[in-house]
Amino acid sequence: MSLFRNLAMGIRALFRKGQEEQEMDEELRAYLDAAVKEKMRSGMTRDKALRAARVEMGSLESVKEEIRASGWEAAVEALWQDLRYGARQLRRSPGFTAVAVLTLALGIGLNTAIFSMVNALLLRPLPVEHPEQIYTLAVQGKRGWLSNAFSCPNFQDIRNQTNAVFSDVAAVQISSTTGLRVNGKSERMWTNFVTGDFFPMLGVHPALGRFFLPSEGRVADADPILVLGYSFWKERLGGDPNIIGRVVLVNGRPVTIVGVAPEGFRPLTLFIDTQGYMPLGMAVVDNQTRENFLNDRQDQRLTLIARVRPGITEEKIRSVLDVVANRLAVEYPRVNDWRTIHAFPLPPTGPTSSPERSLAVVSALFLTLASVVLMLACVNVANLLLARASVRRGEIAIRAALGAGRRRVIRQLLTESCLLALLGGVGGILVGKAGNRLLTSAPLHADVPIVLDFQFDWRVFAYALAVALLAGVLAGIAPAWRAAGGDLNDLLHGSARITNVGGHRFRKALVVAQVAGSLTLLIVAGLFVRSLRNVQRADLGFDPRHVLNVTLDPGLAGYSQTQGYQFIDGLLERTRALPGVQSASLAATVPMGGMSMADSIAVEGSPAPPGQQGRTAGYNVVSAGYFETMGIPILRGRGVNQTDKQNTVFVAVINQTMAERFWPGEDPLGKRFRIEEDPNHPLEVVGVVKNSRAETLYSQVGPYFYRALPQKRMFPVTLQVRSAGDTESIAPAVIRLIRSLEPNIPLADVQTMTDALATVNGLLLFKLGAGLTAALGIVGLILAVIGVYGVVSHMVTQRTHEIGIRLALGATPAEILGTVLRQGMSIIALGSVSGLLLAFGLARLVGHFLVGVSPTDPLTYAGVALMLVVVALAACFVPARRATKVDPMVALRYE
Amino acid sequence: MVVGINANAYGSVETLALEPLHGYGIALRIEQISKGVFRVNAGSLFPAFRRLERQGWIKADWRPTENNRRAKYYTLTERGRRQLKAETEEWGRQIAGISRILTAGIGD
Repeated sequence: MSLFRNLAMGIRALFRKGQEEQEMDEELRAYLDAAVKEKMRSGMTRDKALRAARVEMGSLESVKEEIRASGWEAAVEALWQDLRYGARQLRRSPGFTAVAVLTLALGIGLNTAIFSMVNALLLRPLPVEHPEQIYTLAVQGKRGWLSNAFSCPNFQDIRNQTNAVFSDVAAVQISSTTGLRVNGKSERMWTNFVTGDFFPMLGVHPALGRFFLPSEGRVADADPILVLGYSFWKERLGGDPNIIGRVVLVNGRPVTIVGVAPEGFRPLTLFIDTQGYMPLGMAVVDNQTRENFLNDRQDQRLTLIARVRPGITEEKIRSVLDVVANRLAVEYPRVNDWRTIHAFPLPPTGPTSSPERSLAVVSALFLTLASVVLMLACVNVANLLLARASVRRGEIAIRAALGAGRRRVIRQLLTESCLLALLGGVGGILVGKAGNRLLTSAPLHADVPIVLDFQFDWRVFAYALAVALLAGVLAGIAPAWRAAGGDLNDLLHGSARITNVGGHRFRKALVVAQVAGSLTLLIVAGLFVRSLRNVQRADLGFDPRHVLNVTLDPGLAGYSQTQGYQFIDGLLERTRALPGVQSASLAATVPMGGMSMADSIAVEGSPAPPGQQGRTAGYNVVSAGYFETMGIPILRGRGVNQTDKQNTVFVAVINQTMAERFWPGEDPLGKRFRIEEDPNHPLEVVGVVKNSRAETLYSQVGPYFYRALPQKRMFPVTLQVRSAGDTESIAPAVIRLIRSLEPNIPLADVQTMTDALATVNGLLLFKLGAGLTAALGIVGLILAVIGVYGVVSHMVTQRTHEIGIRLALGATPAEILGTVLRQGMSIIALGSVSGLLLAFGLARLVGHFLVGVSPTDPLTYAGVALMLVVVALAACFVPARRATKVDPMVALRYE
Repeated sequence: MVVGINANAYGSVETLALEPLHGYGIALRIEQISKGVFRVNAGSLFPAFRRLERQGWIKADWRPTENNRRAKYYTLTERGRRQLKAETEEWGRQIAGISRILTAGIGD
């Protein structure tokens, strides 16, 4: 109440100043009148009374000033004055202002750009109603494994038995590509299949048309309807407002478009654009989905999300889920080998099988590095301000003499530096946006529609503002403090030329800190770059050069499975006949691709030792000619070949690790093992091939085997073509061939194997890490070099007089050069040593993300430090040479 | 003797408890009631008024004076009256405490 009145009256005072002043005058005059009258009543003459009253009252102006100062609006006015004065000062020295603003813009920009990513990864809430209530579920098995894939019957049971804690549970099949045929064009459409209550549960409303009804999606193939993703509708279908009700083909089946999802609605996949939604039962449009998948407890394909009822604690959820998991495990012991079900808030990056923590670590790391750059920028600006303060000493002394208190002067100077920083903040937002554009426009070779949405929302702007104000205070506080602390008498009595020794030492200390910070950044960058090198040089075990990958799924053009096999086999035959093709083959997955497969296996005659975790191995399904195409050497036996058919012995080709681990000291050829997925067909080992990397570029190659494609048909499948010459030149011929066989098949992933390695599971993150840290390191280095240059240059200027005398007394230029360089060297050496120690401390944080290089790798430390010292010394050399050019006559006459 | 802003404000409010007064009237009243111990000058009085007004403890309105001019008269509000009561009680407690400490000192 009174706060509001205070605010209102203050604002009135600010904006109706004339009236306020007039009333103040009137009141004071009335006061004086009354005083005079009172004094006259006690017997004074009018003149005497007037004089006495005036004396009692004091200066009218100072009374008014005290009244004005009693409200908060006085502070606002002072701030406004300071701002106007500061702006005038900055306008008066445009060079200084430009350099300071640019420096700060760089520092703030980097911070803002990195924060915008952290914002997207960690802070931005899901685009749904009450996002904090949305949880995702994962199962923990008795043997410890975690999985967030559920079968439909399990989903129904969980949904029915958790009413006490969840107001609703919805199921989604996330990862599906479908083929959409509309307006005579074939498109690949990344589609989610969702239960009817998915949209109502999230509380979102369609941009157009309607969403699904709770009853839709419960029966296989019963509801041929489609909701489009917003950007897909806008970009691929031109935002056609009459799209509702249109019948299109999805995987060759007629489907009606009923709605469009709202813009930016990607609650389950932050970085993948969901282009279409269909009712869960429609998942059978994928010809590999069995008709009975809705009733098959073993068919685990669904991700579950739940809305927690308000006021329910995590403990309550845990106790309910424990009971449900236990009940389902007892009821279906063969399928549900469960210990418990976990529920945790749905991570912004999408459902996972355990709460996401590494994102927070990465975010903290990069924000720390970025804040080091900000510090460096602040130190540079502080140094500029210090240099400027020595010029402005006269002005400040006059202000002090006119009655400005020390605090008032500091406040004025801080206002100025904050003004600089705010300008820098505006520049920083531009720099940040440009940086983001650079980052997100890099072409990504991915088999899914990637969106990198690091939009600047209010959080990013607030962060930029906070960072800017912090930078203003950090850069300004020390110079302001020092400037305001100067002794008035000294200054006004003309002895101002005395070198400010304390100030110089302080500036040196700042630059030492800068060198240290910059070295730390560079060392971290060096570690990341070396780790990228290591990954790039890793022995892949296959030869990616001259290999073209084309991923395709005839099902997307409406082919049945059998038709699909025929099409793909025919395509392979004709591809091999193309001129320039050395070999061609098919594979279910590509190394470092988005898909990988693994299964539990049982080796015949050698059961896994009891108590030990089950044996698993990764696998791929390939056609004849695969090992030739990929350049993987066959060490023993044979590869998959034409004789491996549906009706012959099921075969497997294994890698070295698998041979050594499961048949140690034995000949694996002719041995048999079973896989959990298809225990009725034991696989016979027919060959051993060299280890090659399939899933990551850095971890140890685990046991891996290859099955024959005719014995396990899969779609989508990747056609891989090794050509004699350039990969790019063979691509058009292959695409022409596919189009001539089937014009309606959507092709998205046509890329060279080398490009395929640059994806998320390949080099992308390493490149990103190395690129970001290198950018931070280079900006840091530039800032530190400017700092070193500035302080040495300033030193030379201040000592011109002394240098002149020395030269006059016979010192050689080489000696002067040595003196100056020694001074610079002491700063650099001190900074480097502290930087090495700092990096040593910080490196433990990054150790996690490095491959093949220790976080305290001496070579990186020494190399980077050496580079920094050389560059910094070069920066010292410029002012040092200037010192040797000092003309003694000029320097001495200057007195 | 140090007369802080609070003591001034307190003095003014107490005076207003009797009837609406204008600035000089209040100053005079304070001086009279305190028998000349407190003399409040305009530089302390008016800032205190402004603060009290912002707090909502007093309200001001313009009224004609005897010689046909305008003067600002201050009146205690209901909130102000409550605050005054609380402050008076608190002050009484403090005075009692201080006096106990002082007499204990003499007793030693």
